[in-house]
Amino acid sequence: MPLLDRPWIVASALVYLAVNLGIGLWALRRTRSPRDFWVAGQGLGVLVAGLVTMASAFSGFVFLGGPGLTYRIGLTSLFINLSIGFTSGLLGWSVAKRLRLLAEVREVYTIPDAVLCRFRSRTASGTAAVAILIGTVGYLGTQLLALGRLLEAVLGLRDLLGAWSLPVGVGLGLAVLLFYSVAGGMVAGVYTDVFQGALMILAACLVFGYAMDAGGGLGTIAASIAGSERFGRPFLEPFGSTPALTAIGFYFVFGIGVLGQPHMLHKFFMLRDPRRLRWLPLTLGGAQILCLLIWFGVGIAVPALVAQGRLPALEQPDDAAPMFLLHFTPDAVTGLAIAGILAAIMSTADSFMNIGSAVLVRDLPRAFGRKVNDELLWGRIATVAVTLAAAGLAFVYDDLIALLGTFSFGTLGAALAPALAVGLNWKRVTAAAATASIATGAGLNLILEFLAKQTLFPALPKPPLPPGALPTAVSLAASFAMLLAVTWWTGRREERIDADVLAVMET
Amino acid sequence: MGNRPALALLALCALAMLLASCFDAAPLRWLGGLSAATFPVALIALGAARGGRIGGLRWPLVLLWIVLAGSWIVLLALPHGGPDAGALPLGTALMLFVMVPAPFAIVCWAYASRFDLSEEDLERIRRLGRHDQGEE
Repeated sequence: MPLLDRPWIVASALVYLAVNLGIGLWALRRTRSPRDFWVAGQGLGVLVAGLVTMASAFSGFVFLGGPGLTYRIGLTSLFINLSIGFTSGLLGWSVAKRLRLLAEVREVYTIPDAVLCRFRSRTASGTAAVAILIGTVGYLGTQLLALGRLLEAVLGLRDLLGAWSLPVGVGLGLAVLLFYSVAGGMVAGVYTDVFQGALMILAACLVFGYAMDAGGGLGTIAASIAGSERFGRPFLEPFGSTPALTAIGFYFVFGIGVLGQPHMLHKFFMLRDPRRLRWLPLTLGGAQILCLLIWFGVGIAVPALVAQGRLPALEQPDDAAPMFLLHFTPDAVTGLAIAGILAAIMSTADSFMNIGSAVLVRDLPRAFGRKVNDELLWGRIATVAVTLAAAGLAFVYDDLIALLGTFSFGTLGAALAPALAVGLNWKRVTAAAATASIATGAGLNLILEFLAKQTLFPALPKPPLPPGALPTAVSLAASFAMLLAVTWWTGRREERIDADVLAVMET
Repeated sequence: MGNRPALALLALCALAMLLASCFDAAPLRWLGGLSAATFPVALIALGAARGGRIGGLRWPLVLLWIVLAGSWIVLLALPHGGPDAGALPLGTALMLFVMVPAPFAIVCWAYASRFDLSEEDLERIRRLGRHDQGEE
């Protein structure tokens, strides 16, 4: 059934976009300085910080790709999420307090700023900025394409505009995103993220309830799947049809790689009172767990409904969530869920727009010993530039950008997690070790993932890894090993650390 | 556990994860599972250590490691996820009902109860910051 025939769905998408525009207008008057633009004036409470960190961390993949992956490989896909039991605490102990305290004593608005303060090295900071820029282009490009495709479907643009429907869908989403991100910077980004995060949790919980109800409860769902020829019991097993090595890799990459995600870490700079960090694991982890209910609920209910003969077998696994929403939830809930998916995509995109512009206006110039004079003005211009560039690249090189998007999380994690999680907690880590680790993590991950997934150049070899091994797990482990080995090699004499930064590391 | 043991564990886990990801052998899978469980505990210990010691966090971290490593050992040891426990295979029930809620409860409680950042600490750090910026 075309979504255009369902007025609730179209209306909720339009209302959602209008609310974001309204928040952008409201934030415009509250954005007066670079501090407002980059870190929302450092005025967030811990509940809001948890919610916005979750909203920017979870992209449309949680709502669409996750249930699709479960349909394809079974419950092994949940190993991607199992680490949320400890990641919020890991973030708190390893990086959140250090980053927030650095922002207390220095003008630290970005991750490369923090790297510069800690290691006093423009090379390390510049290498981090380049890694972030690569991750930003991949993340942002794929989010913009996903946004365009969703708006294209929801607003029925394909029937109206034919071949122009995707550019118009992307353009419409871009217009709203650019308006609030350019006008209101991170103030708008944060308050739209609060709205978007709340919407995501509400939609996830409601859809989870409908999914369990539609399938007949967890017992009936599991029995239907186990008894079906198509799925069978292996679907429910921890390592059903997927090598255990993949599950271990998922757990490691998503559990540890989270320490290098700038769109999440950036939010810690924005907290008003560092002492409120005490409750961060609870608010962030709680929000994440609630939001992931949709992945598990739809991911397990759709195969059960197919097994029960109440839903046709899916041609594309990624249709799992849309098919469920269209057939098994009332229009109002479907509308809310569509708004939740838009929210998940846009909250990740707006974070990367801000981070990408900060790389261009702040981080890279500083790495070359320069400073941009009017950061607020140039920040706004760079937000437009980086977003349009990502959208343009996504259109021209859609395969390449989609490919880059699939491993942006791993690239950022492998590049930044060791330098931040170990470097901010161990004085002996040297600038050379941090630079080597960042370059190794980003470079190795790009090469291995590209070789593993590319189909553009058939002559290129596949990486020499066993079946089921994740290239990102290799690059993340190699990046840690590189940091520790180079520190051991170069760190016999401790490098000088400024007294205030040292106090931050020791508090 | 303090800085040195945490760093030694990190180095071992990084090498073990590299080996487990690069070579296909059953014992390396065990090594990979245990490394994936030990890695976060070692990083938390490194982040939480003060003066090279983690003090009262030792037992919560031991408990966290037992939950994570124990879960991985059970998952890897059970063929086909083990017998059914209620509606799901035992291994899957462990994933859903132990591997997420138990670590979450442990880290939330341990982090909130051991969090130490006083107004005096903040003032000392701010003073040092002003001093350093004054020097520049």
